[in-house]
Amino acid sequence: MSKNEGIPPGWSYNPAAWGQRLPIVGLAMIGFSIATYMALFQLKILDTVWEPFFGNDSRKILTSSVSKILPIPDAALGAIGYLADAVTGAVGGTRRWRTMPWIVIMFGLAVGPLGFISILLVILQPVLFDAWCTLCLCSAAISVIMIGPAMDEFMASMQYMKRVKDANVSLWKAFWGYKEVQGKVI
Amino acid sequence: MWAQIINALLGIWLMASPALLRFEGIAADNSHIVGPIIASFAVISWWEATRVVRLYNIPPAAWLLLAPWVLGYESTSALVNDMLVGAVVLGLSFVKGRITEKFGGGWSAIWQSDSPHAQEARRQPRTEME
Repeated sequence: MSKNEGIPPGWSYNPAAWGQRLPIVGLAMIGFSIATYMALFQLKILDTVWEPFFGNDSRKILTSSVSKILPIPDAALGAIGYLADAVTGAVGGTRRWRTMPWIVIMFGLAVGPLGFISILLVILQPVLFDAWCTLCLCSAAISVIMIGPAMDEFMASMQYMKRVKDANVSLWKAFWGYKEVQGKVI
Repeated sequence: MWAQIINALLGIWLMASPALLRFEGIAADNSHIVGPIIASFAVISWWEATRVVRLYNIPPAAWLLLAPWVLGYESTSALVNDMLVGAVVLGLSFVKGRITEKFGGGWSAIWQSDSPHAQEARRQPRTEME
């Protein structure tokens, strides 16, 4: 059963199935679009930014000192993060929790910190600048929603790595999905 | 899961409450900081594999019960709001909800030997993989 459907041992479903991953990739692409749009405003390619609720607040946030801490605008960094989420979410087949743990672990690492930074930026908006930015809040909501569904696959890969370790198989080779170690550990 | 939906909404309510209940200063800052944290942990625990994250809301919820006294809130509505929201979030953080899926022993199975995933793997025949 696990060979055909890729269900990890002791699991009731396969966390690497396309039905599990595609919604996350879709969310990441929506996040990428929103962040790209805000980055275009920050790079002064667009003159105005869409803000339905908070008047001039979006402009205030997107041109704030915090947004310029890094060499590139913070929304551009967000866009790169979302793109990394989408790519690492899409790469590999439905058994990738075992055949390529490195990509699953990279996926988990890409989703986690991006979500964390989003939460931090949502806190900074009202506390430092007394302003809210609708698109920033949407982007943060998307990155927080992505965390939970991405983590089950991460858990399956980590459990696999534990079985690899207990079987005295090279963790390094299993991590990179060497052909010679596949099949030694299920 | 319903409990964590309510907690997420309460987190968002905290973010909006300084504007809606008209209070400012340190009470508003506290709401603006604790609100997103509670909402985020609640949303992450919507999924069964990460339902345990609901427990991370215990410290921020407990802080809401103490904050009006520690920080010396001037606004009564902020005090009542924080303590009510804190009490409800604290209670709902303990509601595990229904778990229907199996995860090979869950997060602790990553470091514990002979977990359900290891036992199940032993039962399966070794086959040549792709």
